[in-house]
Amino acid sequence: MKRMAALAAFAIFAASAFAQAPVIPELKGKAMEITIWTHEDPNRVPIEQRYIAEFMAANPSVKVTYVTYPSAKIREIITTGFAANQGPDIFNLELFDEYPFITNGRVAPVDFKMAGSKDLKDLESKYLPGMLTSVIDGGKAYGLPVELTNWCVYLNKKIFRDAGLDPDKDWPKTWEDVMAVSEKLVKRDGQIITRRGFDFRYPYYLTSIVPMVEQLGGELVSRDGKAILNDAAWLKVLQYFKDFGPNGKNLGSPTYTDARKLFDNDKNEIAMSLSGLYQEARMKNANPAFYNSKDWMVIPFPQWKDAKKKVPNNYYGHYYMVNAQSPKIEQQASWALLSYMLSHGQEYLEKVAIVQPMKALMESATLKAMPYSDVFVKDMNAAHMVYYGASSSKIDAMLKEAFESVMLAGVEPQKALDKLRKDVTAALAEQ
Amino acid sequence: MRRSRAFSFPAVAFSSLTWVILLSAAAVIFVPIAFMAGASLMNSADIMQMPYGWLPRSPKWANFLQALAGNDGQWIFPRNILNSLVVSLSIAASTVFLSALTGYGLAKFRFRGRNTVFMGIMATMMIPFETVMIPLYIIIVRLGLQNSYGGLILPFLMNAFGVFLMRQYLLSFPSEMLDAARIDGCSEPRIFFSIVFKNAGPAAATLAILAFRQQWDNLLWPLLVAQSEEMKTIPAYIVKFAAEKSSDEGAMMAVAAIASLPVFALFLTLSKYFLGGASVYSAGKE
Amino acid sequence: MNKGRSGESLERKTARWGWFFVAPGVLFFSAFSLYPILNAFWTSFFNKKLLSLKPPKFIGLDNYGKVLSSPDFWNSVGATAIFAAGAFVPMFLLSLLFAVLVTSRTRWRRGIQMALYSPAVLSSVVAALIWLLMFDPRGLANQMANALMRTPGIDHKWLADATMVRISTIVVYVWKYVGYFTILFVTGIGKIPQSVNEAAVIDGANAFQRFFRITLPLLKPTTVLVSVMILIQCLKTFSTQYLFTQRGAPLGPINVLTLNIYNTALRDQNLGRASVMAVLLFAFMLLLSWTQIRFSRSGELES
Repeated sequence: MKRMAALAAFAIFAASAFAQAPVIPELKGKAMEITIWTHEDPNRVPIEQRYIAEFMAANPSVKVTYVTYPSAKIREIITTGFAANQGPDIFNLELFDEYPFITNGRVAPVDFKMAGSKDLKDLESKYLPGMLTSVIDGGKAYGLPVELTNWCVYLNKKIFRDAGLDPDKDWPKTWEDVMAVSEKLVKRDGQIITRRGFDFRYPYYLTSIVPMVEQLGGELVSRDGKAILNDAAWLKVLQYFKDFGPNGKNLGSPTYTDARKLFDNDKNEIAMSLSGLYQEARMKNANPAFYNSKDWMVIPFPQWKDAKKKVPNNYYGHYYMVNAQSPKIEQQASWALLSYMLSHGQEYLEKVAIVQPMKALMESATLKAMPYSDVFVKDMNAAHMVYYGASSSKIDAMLKEAFESVMLAGVEPQKALDKLRKDVTAALAEQ
Repeated sequence: MRRSRAFSFPAVAFSSLTWVILLSAAAVIFVPIAFMAGASLMNSADIMQMPYGWLPRSPKWANFLQALAGNDGQWIFPRNILNSLVVSLSIAASTVFLSALTGYGLAKFRFRGRNTVFMGIMATMMIPFETVMIPLYIIIVRLGLQNSYGGLILPFLMNAFGVFLMRQYLLSFPSEMLDAARIDGCSEPRIFFSIVFKNAGPAAATLAILAFRQQWDNLLWPLLVAQSEEMKTIPAYIVKFAAEKSSDEGAMMAVAAIASLPVFALFLTLSKYFLGGASVYSAGKE
Repeated sequence: MNKGRSGESLERKTARWGWFFVAPGVLFFSAFSLYPILNAFWTSFFNKKLLSLKPPKFIGLDNYGKVLSSPDFWNSVGATAIFAAGAFVPMFLLSLLFAVLVTSRTRWRRGIQMALYSPAVLSSVVAALIWLLMFDPRGLANQMANALMRTPGIDHKWLADATMVRISTIVVYVWKYVGYFTILFVTGIGKIPQSVNEAAVIDGANAFQRFFRITLPLLKPTTVLVSVMILIQCLKTFSTQYLFTQRGAPLGPINVLTLNIYNTALRDQNLGRASVMAVLLFAFMLLLSWTQIRFSRSGELES
């Protein structure tokens, strides 16, 4: 009896040390090489490499090469690879960069059997409602989400107290508050800011700035395909950036070091920054003392005082997709591998703090135990997916140009808006 | 040979002015490099300090450890340095050899289409790399050379400026020597190897360094072609490291410093050939 | 064996060898330069999208019309022109000045040249990393500018302001390459026979007279060569602008043609239109260097 128990204990131990990936009978004896191109993420990469090693151990005929690229470059690299008909078997990008791969027929539909589902309905039922909609076309799904992220505001309580504010009472609820509080928090040496109150995440205009417009009733692209609706809303947000920037109240600017990167350091440089839940994992790695202190908190995405509707920060998704030009058997192997990797939702959440939008995960104790996860979940429930379409990358660049010309180059909001409308309309017409 | 100099007052004033200009220019140009060296041993807060301290208060050698080991502790950077060396050195060698070959053909032989060939090669200097990147990539893929040294090296085996430089140098090479060798029954390839190439030393050194430096700089192409961590070159590693660890400026500068060391070392040892640039031309005139 | 007593037959024989020596180069440039640029030219008449698997449609000059009528293209032409002119003038004058001064010295010559050249040894990525830190509002660039101009606490917005970001890219570029062109000039000056200069010294010519009457005219081939090279380099600039915009600098003022081509191809995936810009840029550069060489009637590039 005792021996049996010891054996069982050993078995459990062994299982946890060398997790067993499923053996896929279809792949048996079929030698193949699968390549995965994905973006850098110091927390995610090691666990995915482990899943891959486990999968290869269980299916020795499959050799998987896992390559990471800097996130600023990966879109260009994958696009060029596909243009040369030499794309990787598996890749992921932000959805709005991935969307053209679907519309151009470059990615293969999910093999339901290999992905462990009966059919599309079964697959969809595992995710939160609507989470696959963006990758479904003609009854087929073209990707599986590895991460769905929305941003809230991280707040450093020490800096609030240092400026004579009470973080629990004075945290900003509205954009007007953000500006007012920032003015109290900011420190400068002449014109040069040495401590910022709040700062935006600049290159991500679609994700973070369009919701500000939508709160006021504005729209980027309407249902009938018109661009830039409700001038008053747009002008108010543009004016806000003008006031916020170096030619206005001088509270922040895109040329300072990224706010969210400085936040973790806790060096009295930034009081509030936008980021996703994943920031908690990075903070824990980079600055455990700060992570474990009670000196930070997360507050919801601010809303305008006279907001017409509540619009939190958009969420965006990274979907793993499979190359349609890969041989059938490699596509199958790819979906089997992805299905195995993505079955570790809990560990992705614990180690990387990225959320797969699966029902089971959203209700898990792991998520609930993460500090302030309720703030993120609450915001996410009211949010919608970031705009995606054939020209979304281009439109994102146009928004950047419009807002930064107002903020930095002193262009009048109306002028910038007229140009933006013209540019976006032209981009939409070309699709 | 020494030049005689008149030690008149204007000459002395002129001489000191020259020194002031040259030394201050050298100093100004050197500031960013000194900044890199100093910052590589600082923690990030000191780098962004106002006023800036220049010298690290207590050298933080951990920056270099982190730079070499990488954030994932895989120690891939040394391998990437090796790749950069292999690729840049091969390209330097092939550029010198192939440019000498072509330059010799253009400088010392009269044949139909010679000017067309020369002008055609010169025209390729005007091609911005970004505009031919995609067709080039497709060629490399068709040849099955992606993710290999071959793929990294092949499109840069030689360049138009190299041909130009070698041709210029060889134009002034004494034709009588070649004719004498021909009359002695030397074969053309042998003339090239034992007379022309052997005497191309100074021009070859200049060209080798230019080609090496250019390749050391290359970011876009290795990013496309090198698909595994083991095949990446230094610039790709830097971009990756900076993206991962953007707030630790100290470690970032350490990466930059390490990346610059081998090429600086080479620069220092080979500077004799390099800065004796004048000899490139005078050698051919003897 | 006929030892080639008649010049003609020797010439005919060696002419074949000429092709022999030139062949590897011709092959190389045909495959890796000529083919890609012809490919771009061909593509410029097609409605080619990067990711599309459908065969591209021939649309004649449609792409050319679209590009030439787009304000974005003309903005890039302006940005490129401003950058090229802004970098060319200081680069040319400074490298010529440095070269003349360096060659007038015998002591520490190599040390000075090495210091001037050292930035060219750094890779552009390293240079951009360094300068991005220096151009940070809290960085060295503001501190040094303020110390020099006695304007404490001013943020010169090196990467934020539309004019300043243009100046910043020019500063980085001139900093990086001025030493390189200095060396080319030094080489050119070295070609001038010492005896000419010495004769002038004996005749009592002062340094300025010697420079303008002797050095400059005799340096003309080098001057033409270096100016063509600087101009080509400036028109081909890419990585500084690319890395700056990646770090938050506004795109418009520094959206040079190469960057626009890159974005049009890889971000907008419009290969046809990117090819149009590539062809136009290439043609313009050819024309420019051709006129520059013809205009100066230099024998340097002809046989």
